Amino acid sequence: MIATWYAVVSFMLIIYIVLDGRNFGAGMLHWFVAKTPEERRQVLAAIGPLWSWHEVWLVGFGGTLVAIFPRLMASAFAGYYLALFLILWCLILRGVSIEVGGHINDRLWQTYWDFIFVCSNFLLAILFGAAAGNVARGVPLNADGNFSMAFFTDFNVRGHVGLLDWYTVSIAILAAVILAAHGATYLTLKTEGSVHDRSEKLAKYLWIAAVPLSVVVLVESRIVRPDLPGRALSNPFWWLGLIVTGVSIIALISGLVGKRERRAFLGSNFLIFGSLATGAAAIFPAMLHSTLATENSLTAYSVACSPSTLRLAGLWWPVGFALAVFYFVFISRRYAGKVSVQRDTQGFY
Amino acid sequence: MNSIFNDPGFWHRLQFGFTIVYHYLFPQLTMGLAWFLVYWKWRALRTGDKKYNQAVRFWAKIFGLNFALGVVTGIPMEFQFGTNWADFSKYAGGVIGQTLAMEGMFAFFLESAFVGALIWGEKRLGPRGHFAAAIAVALGSWISGYFILVTNAFMQHPVGYQIEANGSLGISRMSAYLLNPWAFVQFAHNQLAALVTGSFVVAAIGAFYALRGVHSVQAKLYLRAGTFVGLIASLLVAFPTGDAQAKMVGNHQPVTLAAMEGKFVGGPMAPVALIGQPNVAAQRLDNPIEVPGALSFLAYGHFGSFVHGLNDFPKDQWPDNLELLYYSFHIMITLGTLFIVLMGFATLQNLRGRLESSRLLLWVLLLAFPYPYIANTLGWMTAELGRQPWLIYGLFHTRDGYSKVVSNGDAIFTLIGFTGLYFVLGLLFLGLTGREIGKGPEDQATAVVDQREAVLA
Repeated sequence: MIATWYAVVSFMLIIYIVLDGRNFGAGMLHWFVAKTPEERRQVLAAIGPLWSWHEVWLVGFGGTLVAIFPRLMASAFAGYYLALFLILWCLILRGVSIEVGGHINDRLWQTYWDFIFVCSNFLLAILFGAAAGNVARGVPLNADGNFSMAFFTDFNVRGHVGLLDWYTVSIAILAAVILAAHGATYLTLKTEGSVHDRSEKLAKYLWIAAVPLSVVVLVESRIVRPDLPGRALSNPFWWLGLIVTGVSIIALISGLVGKRERRAFLGSNFLIFGSLATGAAAIFPAMLHSTLATENSLTAYSVACSPSTLRLAGLWWPVGFALAVFYFVFISRRYAGKVSVQRDTQGFY
Repeated sequence: MNSIFNDPGFWHRLQFGFTIVYHYLFPQLTMGLAWFLVYWKWRALRTGDKKYNQAVRFWAKIFGLNFALGVVTGIPMEFQFGTNWADFSKYAGGVIGQTLAMEGMFAFFLESAFVGALIWGEKRLGPRGHFAAAIAVALGSWISGYFILVTNAFMQHPVGYQIEANGSLGISRMSAYLLNPWAFVQFAHNQLAALVTGSFVVAAIGAFYALRGVHSVQAKLYLRAGTFVGLIASLLVAFPTGDAQAKMVGNHQPVTLAAMEGKFVGGPMAPVALIGQPNVAAQRLDNPIEVPGALSFLAYGHFGSFVHGLNDFPKDQWPDNLELLYYSFHIMITLGTLFIVLMGFATLQNLRGRLESSRLLLWVLLLAFPYPYIANTLGWMTAELGRQPWLIYGLFHTRDGYSKVVSNGDAIFTLIGFTGLYFVLGLLFLGLTGREIGKGPEDQATAVVDQREAVLA
């Protein structure tokens, strides 16, 4: 049962990354694919009405994490204290920059908020990437299952590590490139005209750039966590994630080459989904690996709440998720197709 | 060296208190306003009168700004359970995490999936679809209120839990947890208080336009709806919900009730002090004006009922700031009473057809809108200060709950960061809301068409 809950919690976080990742990506590229105010508005319209729907998946994930793995949430969030507040502040600035930019018709005002929008999205991609790197590498958990981490120490991956070292920085770069590629693929699907053309070109370059970076990260991961591959190979979910990743790479390539935008974007979504799922399956059951002593690691079994509480959560979670799927269908239908800035005169989305 | 800089619990409390008070400025308006939007949307469907849709379009923009700020300031709240209150989450995460997760999945998903449709989708959804979106958003916001109040009710009056083998808390009966009687009372009281905020703001904007002599049809609509709903909600906030809330405190947290009333010595025929200043050093209420027996009657139903005083309890169970608790409670009650008087008078004038012509009354209605925010905040301060020194009443002390691994400097740093960031957010919010109000509801041709549209033209 704990393994299932581990899958559920990872699933929710991955959905958040896939959904909001497109906004991080599109946001990072905002200045590069959109030059005129009209073009900028297209990018914002592609993100606009849905950013809060995407962002609340982070809340759904956070709540589920407290409910199911309270001690992991406590240890990880307190340990990453400052990094998490950076993420929160970037999320605040990102949301605000989307909302307030369009309220005043002034070039300078809008340029300023566009700038905040680009920077906060870029930082978010980097920070989430570094966070993923930290989960893969491990953190300096002591015997009590606590840690408190500096932004950087000696940039080494063992012992008293910091948030940033050569491994987590390379994952952060990879994450930024992949999310940018994801965002470009999304903008290709949602926009027309020159934003579309620039995004289409960028998507190709960025996906190509992701290939060597992925290889580097894979090799690095092998060095940083030599214990992982053995366990991963015996985990069926790891294989499942690998198959999803493989199929979506094919879909993505054929979509990009054949200019089939929906297919490319689906491929992009499932590529991120699949690769994060393989990562989540590979580290299981350790949710936070200790770089000080393996026995200090927090496993899903040691941080979960009691079986009776898990059973109760099992009663309502599927209902909540079914409703979320229903909203998802509503949203996909309602916001299908390209955004057209002239179509609706009611607001700026 | 003994200074506040060495008391980490203080900084974690201050940060949570500051960020939650700030956050709640936005949801209290959206929860109240949501039903105005539903009502006007319904009237528009029924009558086909354009003024109702115009009102919805205008208020949806105000709603949208509040909603966005509610979302961005709300996410730090959930994260702080882990970052700042790690030991509390370790202890009680199995219980409170359930409702935090439910709030996300049952309320926020619903609300955020449809809020875009409410604000920008009138044409594409059609009248019925747009009405449905308004209902979905209103329901979502109230459901989220319920789940978060269940969480708070557990902290005030823990029920349905069990202590697990590792010493942490788990849920023994989900129904008991979700149907906590404290949560029902608190939900009713709190949601009606949100309606008070919503109706005061609606009435204030109506008064603003009426005083300026612009948008007279809309002004009339807002004034009438605002004052009528304001009167009903203000009455219901006081009775039966406020009364029930006080009885709940009296039954389950008698020491809190004594502190709220500044009552040091217990006894029958306990009075309610209309005014007075608690003097903690001398353990008495200075300069009181009292109504004999009223507290006994209000709390327990009989004038002769025995009401405990603070001295009946060991000092380590007293709420840790009696003065702040006492004044929060008393100012809230005073404001609540004034709300009833103001809205009652406004409704009377409305019935006599003089609401829009009485400039003095309009001025008062305009200037009154901040006070429900203050009363709501003071109500929450009463609830949270009154619960001290407990984080979960009778089970878990506040001083045990904060994250021991987070240094004081980190906590102070993030508190300062929030202060600065929220100051900027506040300026933006006030500036932009002011602009929308200045443009007014009848400015649809240019105001609703976004300004960026104008760039294209």
